[in-house]
Amino acid sequence: MRAGLDRARGRGARGPRGEVAALQAALAAEEAASYGYGVVGAHLSGQAFSLATSDCVIHERARDNLIAMLSSLGAPPQPAAVAYRLPMAVSTTAQAATLAVDLELSVVAGYLDLVAVGDRSLRRLAASRMQDAASRAARWGGQPEAFPGLASER
Amino acid sequence: MAAEPTRRLMLTAAAAGSLGLAGTLAGCKGITALGPIPAIAPDVVMLEHAIAAEEAMVDRYAAARRQLGGTGSASTTRAASVIAAIWAEHEAHLRQLRAKLILPPRLAKTKIRASREPGPLPDELTGVLAALAADERAAVTRLTTGLLAAPAALAQLMASISASEAAHIVFLRRAGSA
Repeated sequence: MRAGLDRARGRGARGPRGEVAALQAALAAEEAASYGYGVVGAHLSGQAFSLATSDCVIHERARDNLIAMLSSLGAPPQPAAVAYRLPMAVSTTAQAATLAVDLELSVVAGYLDLVAVGDRSLRRLAASRMQDAASRAARWGGQPEAFPGLASER
Repeated sequence: MAAEPTRRLMLTAAAAGSLGLAGTLAGCKGITALGPIPAIAPDVVMLEHAIAAEEAMVDRYAAARRQLGGTGSASTTRAASVIAAIWAEHEAHLRQLRAKLILPPRLAKTKIRASREPGPLPDELTGVLAALAADERAAVTRLTTGLLAAPAALAQLMASISASEAAHIVFLRRAGSA
């Protein structure tokens, strides 16, 4: 599910077309996370289930926000896939948490194009969402990563 | 005859303004014939500030490691291992940021320092962890502000580092509650 990381690095997405492409990349990551949290939540209960539910809502809101931004630019938002291939089999609580970590790190990578666009407000938004996603990955039990989203710099 | 400008100097000059052409045209009189070396470009200054800030973080975590190294309770040992892991990440951040800076030493006349020296770390473990978390929060804010005006590739690196440092706050909080 993780977006292509190296593809994005160092490429300045200048101009409206670059911004649209970057917004679409972020949208794809949020759509995948929204789907993935459905799987995560299905294997959790109690407080962990509540946490997964609230994280799912965060991604759904971010998705809706990106759709609105794309629409305001006159660009049709890319629809979500009907289903996604999970990066791992999930049948236990621990695997669900591992999937949540993976989803969040994919979201970090998904905003990498957007943080390089010319528009400062979009950069700020992208950076903020990368920070929040990395924090959630840590909260779900992820290990420290020096360069989340930049796979080859690890 | 003046030596041919090196590629590194040309890159730096290009970053600083339009010195690249000037360096080529300087001829026998040397580069000073065309006046003073122009000011370093804002993005280079910003990168130097980011490096200075990361150096300060490395020093801060090194101090925390020294402080916790001598004590031996289980909670302190756990926290020390978290601090060691985060310290290693700050070292990695510093290496990557330094790798982005192409600047001959003779142009880097002023050593940029962190704008505010951090105070001493508290004595007790919870205080140390809280102080480090506050440093991380400040670093995230600083990086977010800096990346808004950075070139695309540097903005991506700074955003990734800021995400890493935001996660550090979670690790530090967990180390304190374990």
